[in-house]
Amino acid sequence: MMDKWLSPADQTYVKPTSWLARLHLDGWLLLGLLLLLGTGLIAIYSASGGDINVTKNHAIRILLALGLLAVFAQIPPKTLLFFTPWVFIAGLVMLVAVIIFGDTGKGAQRWLDLGIIRFQPSELMKLALPMMVAWLFAYSAYPAHPARFVLGFFIVVLTAGLIVVQPDLGTSILIAMSGLFVLFFAGLPWKFIVGALASLAISLPIVWNFMHGYQKQRVLTFLDPETDPLGAGYHIIQSKIAIGSGGIEGKGFMGSTQAHLDFLPESTTDFIFSVFAEEFGLIGVVVLLALYSFVLLRGLYMAYRAQDVFSRLVVASFTMTLFVYVSVNIGMVSGLLPVVGLPLPLVSYGGTSMVTLMISFGIMMSIHTHKKMLSH
Amino acid sequence: MSFLQFDETRASAKQQQSFKYRLVFVVLFIFIVFALLIVRMTYLQWFNHEKFLNQAEGNRVTVQTLPPQRGQIFDRNQVLLAKNTSSYSLSFRRENILDSTHTFEQIQYLFPEIPTSLLEDFAHRLARTPRHRDTVLPFSLSEQQAARFAANRYRFPGVTLEARLKRVYPHQDSGVHALGYVGRISQTDLQRLDTARYRGTDITGRAGIERAYEDLLHGFPGLQTVETNAQGRVIRVLNTIAPVAGQDINLTLDARLQKFIENSLGNRRAAVVALSPLNGEVLALVSTPTYDPNLFVDGINHTDYNALLHNPNKPLINRAIRGQYPPGSTTKPFIALGALEQGFTSTTERLFDPGYFEFQGHRYRNWRREGHGWTDLKRSIVESVDTYYYKMSLDIGIDGLHSMLSPFGFGERTGIDIPGELTGILPSQEWKRRTHNEAWYRGETIISSIGQGYNLATPIQLATATAILANRGRIVQPHLLKGAVTHRDNTDDTPQQIPINNRNNWEYVIQGMVDTVHTPRGTAWSAGRHIRGYQIAGKTGTAQVFSLNDGEYNADDLDQRLHSHSLFIAFAPASNPKIAIAVIAENAGGGGRVAAPIAIDAINYYLKELDKP
Repeated sequence: MMDKWLSPADQTYVKPTSWLARLHLDGWLLLGLLLLLGTGLIAIYSASGGDINVTKNHAIRILLALGLLAVFAQIPPKTLLFFTPWVFIAGLVMLVAVIIFGDTGKGAQRWLDLGIIRFQPSELMKLALPMMVAWLFAYSAYPAHPARFVLGFFIVVLTAGLIVVQPDLGTSILIAMSGLFVLFFAGLPWKFIVGALASLAISLPIVWNFMHGYQKQRVLTFLDPETDPLGAGYHIIQSKIAIGSGGIEGKGFMGSTQAHLDFLPESTTDFIFSVFAEEFGLIGVVVLLALYSFVLLRGLYMAYRAQDVFSRLVVASFTMTLFVYVSVNIGMVSGLLPVVGLPLPLVSYGGTSMVTLMISFGIMMSIHTHKKMLSH
Repeated sequence: MSFLQFDETRASAKQQQSFKYRLVFVVLFIFIVFALLIVRMTYLQWFNHEKFLNQAEGNRVTVQTLPPQRGQIFDRNQVLLAKNTSSYSLSFRRENILDSTHTFEQIQYLFPEIPTSLLEDFAHRLARTPRHRDTVLPFSLSEQQAARFAANRYRFPGVTLEARLKRVYPHQDSGVHALGYVGRISQTDLQRLDTARYRGTDITGRAGIERAYEDLLHGFPGLQTVETNAQGRVIRVLNTIAPVAGQDINLTLDARLQKFIENSLGNRRAAVVALSPLNGEVLALVSTPTYDPNLFVDGINHTDYNALLHNPNKPLINRAIRGQYPPGSTTKPFIALGALEQGFTSTTERLFDPGYFEFQGHRYRNWRREGHGWTDLKRSIVESVDTYYYKMSLDIGIDGLHSMLSPFGFGERTGIDIPGELTGILPSQEWKRRTHNEAWYRGETIISSIGQGYNLATPIQLATATAILANRGRIVQPHLLKGAVTHRDNTDDTPQQIPINNRNNWEYVIQGMVDTVHTPRGTAWSAGRHIRGYQIAGKTGTAQVFSLNDGEYNADDLDQRLHSHSLFIAFAPASNPKIAIAVIAENAGGGGRVAAPIAIDAINYYLKELDKP
């Protein structure tokens, strides 16, 4: 019975026609991803001031991530469905472990040292949480019983809560959003959505009163960064200078003075978009957003073509996670959103989040290429 | 859980429909958000491009001033008196310092040799300066200390090591009252100075030549456009306009003569001015006690400054141009000459001196109580017979005396080219009405005739008058800058020659001064008896200190300070003068005993050792 779940060559799947599909890969999605990863390599080379070692490191991580994508693309969706609850529970245990035993990296407890590798459980949860919430609806009738929504919401809040205390605000927002998107696609009634947004708006002033001084300061600085140009507002001011000084055509490849003269902090990671915008201008920005739009639309199309509830919820949620990633990062570096510390997906330097993302694309490709013949 | 169950997860048609609508909804949502981002980017990159571009340029491009090298100062024989040497200092720029307290703690840790109080004062000063201005810690680092900082400089954002040129006076306290010194530019200086020319410079001339010729010495700053990184470090130089160094200048001083006279004065309170009568060049300008001008260069500390300020001997005062002394008997040759030229007396007229002169029931005593007996004009100079002048003065009158002395420059500034000169006092009826609102008494004329009473003269005035006498009336302007063409008041009608009635009158008076030094009855005989090969013309003076009328002097030792001032004026060789000198030693007693040997030794040293072609 067990090897039935694990068998990739399940006879019930449709025999794919193209060679890419035979490898369970999606050509269009792969093209979009490779273009974005290539853009990232160029931007990192420039932002690091032409550091070939940094660029090489990133290229190696890209190859590793592509490999993992290909591996996960081979795992049939039903196998994923089977393992989802167990992986999720393991993830929860590790999150708690991180809080108790975790290594402190850059002032935050995010890493779990498993002896052989240092592991970030929150990265696992980026995949496991939306899949877990989708699992809740996998066997449900439509419309699902409200209890499933309540349970799903509880799981989301619990997971995001465990991550936010690490503290990692950016990741917890991202994970919460991925779970909430599953609830949305599972048919969360509009009246609940509208009601939740309305109560959120009402509760904001109350939350403000309960916030810590530094949190209030962060909010105030975000609203008017000029008030603290050397402190909290420094990053965002320098980032806006970088973006704005790029103009329509940009300063050209390797032309970012803001990054090269160290005015721009974290120029290869969270603020890589600013470097890109400074060097390639508004034209470059539009092209980059077009690339992201292409990947997002392809992802949503794959969700549309998915055959079962679990699959479509997972694919749609993963796609929307990429969207949240992109819009929060760009909104952040351009001064529209607070600095929460999220990289620009597929472009920023830093392997962990890119690897996780690429695995999620692998899962999407697996779902897309493991199709069953429909009886009707 | 079986395979069939998984099959049941197939979506129903109704569910499929709802999912499709929600996909359409998120597609719209994505486009709205991306459109918003594009709008934001357009706002930043298109509409505000200029502003941000300027800010990016302002971030990286800084204009630095390259301060000019200050001109060096040499004496008349190319001996270096003021030079510039490399020194290192730390420059702080507040906008780049992350944590001021921590930075200063670390600096103190790295350099325990910097006094804590200095660092604390500086930290307070820095906190009040504009964020973007470089402020230099007033502490010179050695090569080793500079290397120590360089190795640790990554720990000090906002602190840079600056190599700069420091003013050094190699002769230390010698000649300080002529040379002056430089000091740190103060707020008051900034109002006076052209700030554009002084950007990047932290010193300016404060006294003496350094102050007087600041304009020549300072030069013009250059500009350098540099690219800096976020820590303010220069990455590369974009453009340079080189500074123009200040002019090197030569002084008329002879450093050897200056030093010789300073040594001979020892620790007296005294002033000596030696001039070349040929052209008014100041060969030596001495005021003792002296002080070390190097103390002022980096900003003098409180302890040193208070020590100088409260020293009872007042080393900071330039006695040569600011010390006003009763000229005493040194005025006699000038009055004798005037009386001859204007016919108040003749070379044959004699007078019996009983040791006093009586006028309106008051006895005006001679310095020698027993009197000199029958005295002619020459003897009145040689032996300094006061009664001869007492008697003549009643005929001449105070305004007559004024007209005899003022052509020699008494009562007005000589115009020497260093700041702060005082005028002295040459009294007249008009002067007394103006200053005291009182009529002149004839008794006051009598004491004026021997350079006492209201009469006050500065050493530079006495030296200049002596030089004019040596020149037989040709007027010279004392100056310290070699080759400087400066004239008193710079007016065309300034006489260059005192009108002469009879040239023999001048030679008669000068012979009287020669006899003063070279005949046994002369008041300076003992000081000049060893002189061979040439003749010195001189006149002693012993000025009584009737009252401490010079308010600048606080007498601690009152008895000592009531002693007479010792004066001597001289020039030599008498027939072909090459040096004219005036010596005043405060409260030192008789002129022949103290001032004359100093002057005569200096003259002899100059003519025998220094004045060689």
